[in-house]
Amino acid sequence: MKRLRFVLIAALMWLSSCGERKTPDLTDVNSVEDLKGHSVAVAMGGSFDLMLSDIGGVDIVRLGVGELLVAVEKGRAEFCIMDQFQAVMLNLESRGLEMKFKDILKGTAGAGFRKSDSLLCSQFNDYLRGIRVSGEYDRWLDEWKASSDSMAYASFAVPVHEKEPGKRALHVGITVNYPYLFLKDNRLTGIEVDLFNRFCQEAGYPVDYEIYDFSALIPALNSGKIDVILSHMRRTEERARQILFSDPYIEGGGAAVCRRANGTVAVSGAGFMERMKESFRNNLMEEQRWKLMTDGLWVTVRISVLSILAAVIAGIVMCRLRMSRRRIVSSPAGFVIDLLRGIPLLVILMLMFYVVFASSRITGTWVTVMSFGLYYGAYFGEVFRTGMESVDKGQWEAGWALGMGRFQVFRKIALPQALSRIIPVLKGEVIALIKMTSVVGYVAVVDLTKASDIIRSRTLDAFFPLILVSVVYILLAWLTGLGLKALERRMVSKSRGL
Amino acid sequence: MIKVRNLKKVFRTPDGEDLTVLRDINCDIEKGEVISIIGPSGTGKSTLLRCLNRLEEPTSGVIEVEGTDILDRKTDINLIRRRMGMVFQNFNLFEHLTILDNLTLCPMMLLGKSREEAEKAGMELLDTVGLHDKAGCLPSQLSGGQKQRAAIARCLAMEPEIILFDEPTSALDPTMVSEVLAVIRHLANQGMTMCIVSHEMQFVRDVSTRILFLNDGIVYEEGTPEQIFEHPVKPVTRAFINRIRTFESVFENRHFDLYGLFGKIHAFCGKYGLGTKVTAKVEHITEEMLCGIIPFTGPVRLTVEYSEKTSGLSMTFCQENAPGRILDMVDDDSLSLMMVKGMSSSVTEPQAGTVCVEI
Repeated sequence: MKRLRFVLIAALMWLSSCGERKTPDLTDVNSVEDLKGHSVAVAMGGSFDLMLSDIGGVDIVRLGVGELLVAVEKGRAEFCIMDQFQAVMLNLESRGLEMKFKDILKGTAGAGFRKSDSLLCSQFNDYLRGIRVSGEYDRWLDEWKASSDSMAYASFAVPVHEKEPGKRALHVGITVNYPYLFLKDNRLTGIEVDLFNRFCQEAGYPVDYEIYDFSALIPALNSGKIDVILSHMRRTEERARQILFSDPYIEGGGAAVCRRANGTVAVSGAGFMERMKESFRNNLMEEQRWKLMTDGLWVTVRISVLSILAAVIAGIVMCRLRMSRRRIVSSPAGFVIDLLRGIPLLVILMLMFYVVFASSRITGTWVTVMSFGLYYGAYFGEVFRTGMESVDKGQWEAGWALGMGRFQVFRKIALPQALSRIIPVLKGEVIALIKMTSVVGYVAVVDLTKASDIIRSRTLDAFFPLILVSVVYILLAWLTGLGLKALERRMVSKSRGL
Repeated sequence: MIKVRNLKKVFRTPDGEDLTVLRDINCDIEKGEVISIIGPSGTGKSTLLRCLNRLEEPTSGVIEVEGTDILDRKTDINLIRRRMGMVFQNFNLFEHLTILDNLTLCPMMLLGKSREEAEKAGMELLDTVGLHDKAGCLPSQLSGGQKQRAAIARCLAMEPEIILFDEPTSALDPTMVSEVLAVIRHLANQGMTMCIVSHEMQFVRDVSTRILFLNDGIVYEEGTPEQIFEHPVKPVTRAFINRIRTFESVFENRHFDLYGLFGKIHAFCGKYGLGTKVTAKVEHITEEMLCGIIPFTGPVRLTVEYSEKTSGLSMTFCQENAPGRILDMVDDDSLSLMMVKGMSSSVTEPQAGTVCVEI
């Protein structure tokens, strides 16, 4: 045990101090072509990813948007390509990084609408044209560029229409990405949010933002989950075939970022504890980010509890059907159970969200509860079945022979015996369920994991949020185990008495 | 008290075939009787017992308990079962409850007794079966004999009017059989009405007032222990009571496989512990009879019968289409016949063509 702890601590120390390696000489790299033979981190599936794939000869490291800078800092990649506006806003110098060259794939980004929703699109375009003509647009953008922080606070002052019954609220799908869309003091802000809020203010729409993965935005739009994509989405031919782009409101391109040519990374001088303190402050205290975590934790807990309840109910139903003596009932039940167990949970979740409930406005939370209920219901059902089958037929017969009814034997004899075998097995399944809730980010639910993703995308620190989230999940699993153990004890003692 | 008429039970095997276990059972059980049900295995003794409290659903027939037809859909079988205790082969104590809780659960739940009442009665019952010290134990902590005694006590806790015993000692170690039988005997002495399925012949003989011999799905023979054990009327009963084991073989003509037959006889004798001397005798007699005496005017059937009870061994040679008495056709000074007579205690021919050799 002691030895294990030592190894763990050593591993963590090593992980957190990876950045202290010397930077190689990258002075010759001044254009996209020069990236050949170097390792470059890009956002997975984004336009830079496609571009580098086309060039060939580049060692592409595909990551999430939030991990790009960390990858360069830690030396996983020599370069990263990120939005140049973003690169300007981030304080690269203090991280020991520099912008090598920019204007990669210069292009424009706009909002996305459903093809059938051209009225809304043209309304938005009219608004854009209006502020461009009046000069308001340029002033506003310059101010954002000068100070995203103060503009973020200013944007909170823009009143947003209250949702009223009967009035259409715009559901806007976003991907958190500083400085376009980010959370400050636990409130959503950013250049695009600010712009869209102003538009909604003028056009009189209540607005509702939902956080999605970038790759899930277009399916969500086309299936009617959201009405607008507002995610700094660049206009490409492929995308334009699927959705309707508004006029561009932001121009830009990518910037290649690498480590500064001379010296090691500045932070490496600080001790381990000091760096941890700094991480704690940066990831949790600043801008009240802990609130995002606690909200995410609450969502995780709520989803877990509801999913467990749903899975228990579904499990009981499936177990009952599966154990039916009528073949016409038990074989289809067995088939459905095999089917549910054969499909990965994430795929079931996406199927439910984007196909089954595509056109309904049902929230991701409820789709999650239903999907988890079905999927884990199939597992729970089999656990219940083996538990019930493990009770000897003789126990039932002894009860009947004494004059007990079917339900009385079930309640007093079979159930307590089955439960003592079911609960230990179920404990593992329940903990697996809780951990599995970390995939709900795919259906626009901001749970604990997604919350940490959002924080990471802002602070560009992979280590602290992930460790924190791990610890929270471990605590959740531990508490669940304790709870189930207490339940088991109560069941046994209850069945003894009357 | 219990009246059974034309009871029939057909099981459906997994292959979809019908297996008739009980063909046509008729019997009565009166108050105060101790009825034992005996018979070869597979004749439905347990099934009959389980039909009496409807743990098995009879296919057809009538079962009346004090005038109530228990097969009637409108009858509340649970009320009937409360008055009929059952003791199982595998004890079936409730594994998650202590012995005392096993005894008190049903009286409290079904008879409306208070916990104090039920526990007091339970402890008294445990006293009578000698398990006072085990009240707080779980069934898994008890030996087989103790478990079965606890199961009997659990039955008694419901104050039944009759107890059905389904092979109560079959799953027990031989050393534990007697302690369970002693408890049952004690109940019989107190005048409890009981119906017992058992293979413990000596016990059955001592304790029963009446015995039902079940064979081939019917009550084949019925009577007092004396009638059944001392003077069984029907052949299957006799064979069963005397525990007669048989070996049978049929030969079409003189050219049969003699050494193959010796092998089978050897196996049969070995199975029942007959020793090399007796085995050699059986083989010699078989050889002399089949090769020297039997004329083979048609197929010949050999039956070897061994009674485990009396240790008597008899061989029957049955010649089909015999032209007359076989022993009359053989010369008196025939070497074969002399040898057979020398090795056996008697050689008779009760009817023409059938020769009986007793060893």
